[in-house]
Amino acid sequence: MKVDQLGFPWAFQISGILLLLGLSTEAVSLFWVHPIAFIAFFVFGGTFLAVGVLLFLYSLVLFPSSSHPQDLRKN
Amino acid sequence: MPSPLGLLFILLGTTIVLLVVILVRPSLTATIGGKVLAFLAFCALPVLCGVWGLSEHFERSKQTNFCLSCHIMEPYGRSLYVDDVNHIPAAHFQNHRIPVDEACYTCHTNYAMYGTVGVKLHGLRHVYVEYLGTPMNPIHLYEPFNNRECLHCHAGARSFENEIHTPMMDQLKSNQLSCVSSGCHDTVHNIDSLNKFKQWRATE
Repeated sequence: MKVDQLGFPWAFQISGILLLLGLSTEAVSLFWVHPIAFIAFFVFGGTFLAVGVLLFLYSLVLFPSSSHPQDLRKN
Repeated sequence: MPSPLGLLFILLGTTIVLLVVILVRPSLTATIGGKVLAFLAFCALPVLCGVWGLSEHFERSKQTNFCLSCHIMEPYGRSLYVDDVNHIPAAHFQNHRIPVDEACYTCHTNYAMYGTVGVKLHGLRHVYVEYLGTPMNPIHLYEPFNNRECLHCHAGARSFENEIHTPMMDQLKSNQLSCVSSGCHDTVHNIDSLNKFKQWRATE
């Protein structure tokens, strides 16, 4: 089964998962006052967030409104 | 009213919930309102969370306990409690001449344009050396201590601009004469001789 058929373009799903990972990393890092917490936030959280947001923006171009789940169902 | 950190956690939680809701129910994005919600959840709020989190981490990295959380800095933390007025960091720390919560940062930052960014990059280098490299033994500053950091607070103070300091002010400002290594105020952290001194303990 294609991911698209699940009702949401794959890029949005991956973007969402990356953003969840980034936000979770940020939340966990804020519980700890230590250089490692800063590095975890900056390297892992920052990367997940940046890639997630960029993938979302790219997916807006990759999947124009015609491929919206609602329209896919019409097809 | 929640603290700024509390507000950040609320924002993080809200963003995570919105993301999960949209991922589980993608049909929500069929309407204009849903698209706006998706843009908020996938772009605007994560960017806001990231910037806010970075700012929070930057503020935390100024804290004394942040600097002293590395094992190698432990004796420098103890040097703040030396019961001797000639120890410059201890005298500043114990008499609250500097904010005790940001004691290391206050003296070791760079009071110049983009100085904070510079010291944060130094901080990243510290972390790299601590975990992936070989720390200096004994550790020392990357560059000689700049009088500018002392003069940031002391310049203009009545107790400082006296018959001792005023004649040498030009040399102090140009770093030709160091505050801490020219024989005037040269008892700084001196971690090798910490055990010779009594440790001061603040009364609760």
